Amino acid sequence: MGDLVTREQVEGGIREILGELTGHPLPPGLPPDTPLLRGGVGLDSLGATLMLTRVRDRFGVDVADEDLNLDSLASIGTLAAFVADRLISGPAQ
Amino acid sequence: MIKCVIWDLDHTLLAGVYLEDEHPACDPLLARVLGELASRGILQAIASKNPPEAAAYAARLLGHRFAAVRCDWAAKSAAIGSILAELGLQPQEAAFVDDDAMERAEVSFTLPDVVVLEPRDVAEAASWPQFSPPVITDEARRRGELYLQRRARHEEAKAFGGSVAEFLRYSGTAVRIAPAGPADLARLHELSVRTHQFNSSGVEVTAEDFAKLLSAKDQRVITVRLSDKFGDDGIVGGCVLATARWRMPLLMMSCRALGRGVIDALLAWACRAARDAGASQLVVPCVINSRNVPLRVALTGAGFRASSETGDSGGMKTPRTADYIRLLDQPLPELPEWVTW
Repeated sequence: MGDLVTREQVEGGIREILGELTGHPLPPGLPPDTPLLRGGVGLDSLGATLMLTRVRDRFGVDVADEDLNLDSLASIGTLAAFVADRLISGPAQ
Repeated sequence: MIKCVIWDLDHTLLAGVYLEDEHPACDPLLARVLGELASRGILQAIASKNPPEAAAYAARLLGHRFAAVRCDWAAKSAAIGSILAELGLQPQEAAFVDDDAMERAEVSFTLPDVVVLEPRDVAEAASWPQFSPPVITDEARRRGELYLQRRARHEEAKAFGGSVAEFLRYSGTAVRIAPAGPADLARLHELSVRTHQFNSSGVEVTAEDFAKLLSAKDQRVITVRLSDKFGDDGIVGGCVLATARWRMPLLMMSCRALGRGVIDALLAWACRAARDAGASQLVVPCVINSRNVPLRVALTGAGFRASSETGDSGGMKTPRTADYIRLLDQPLPELPEWVTW
């Protein structure tokens, strides 16, 4: 991950991963505040685990390790913000 | 530990080719090994490049109901991936048996963690430690059957119109929380070894250690049983409660209970037990790793918050741990009427 990545790019990547995990692409207009679990995108907690593994492989940010309370799983936007913040400021020491 | 063996059919479980030979017999040695492994609680599945009738034929011949079947012409690695997803297993928990060297190579390359075997090596492999659970509990013996019930439940849930909570009620879900007795110790030990996604400590606890906890003052060992109209899952989870300071040093739950409200029920019950005893908070120390995200989702969903990392900062080997704290002066999570204790 040499170049700086924008939050929009991260969000786009997360949407791609979600499309792969749920088996169908997310509707393009799906708002960023759509919840990831249950009602929104509809991931169950195992799906959330798979998603965080793919996010780690793709962006090099280990959300499961860094976000103890997993607040970043609230929505597509909160997860994108969490990952983008880490990419810009670098991993916490 | 291997939890599932995935078999090829032609020239593996079958002593011939389904589409070419008329009614091929099953391979008697492999049939015996399959039966032996199933009796140890290891699931059996089929991945074969054949029409689905081939799997039904083999199941009849062997007198075994397979936990998952993929009969199509896709890559074997795709079939195995899909079986693992259906059964909720990791690649390192699966073994694959195929007579065809190309198929074995394809699976080894794509899924390097799967144990790949030639048919002639299976009988010996069955004696390897990863195929030999130290104790075989009642739950283990019935594991294949439980997965079939799970499939029936899953099919009906998909067709069901209402919410998850409504489906749990409709399917007659019953969760029973009870103090553990001596007869439960083998199963509790097994859960401590087999659970990863829902395990707060990540440490194996022996039956002897559980026995000591049973007789310890200020320690409560709790079992959770689950059943519904599709079947009886037996003990699916448990916890240890240290009641002097209301800490829960161990919380574990089988993946089988996933999506069935069980871990939420146990947490809601434990919060009530602590509050009724006058405690102001309940603390669950929990290791931080990438596999137990589901447990941490359940904890935060029940209102627990990670307060501090308590892991020993000395060595790299020590797992990171954080205290998840639930304040009990706030409204507690709901406890559905189908939970008894």
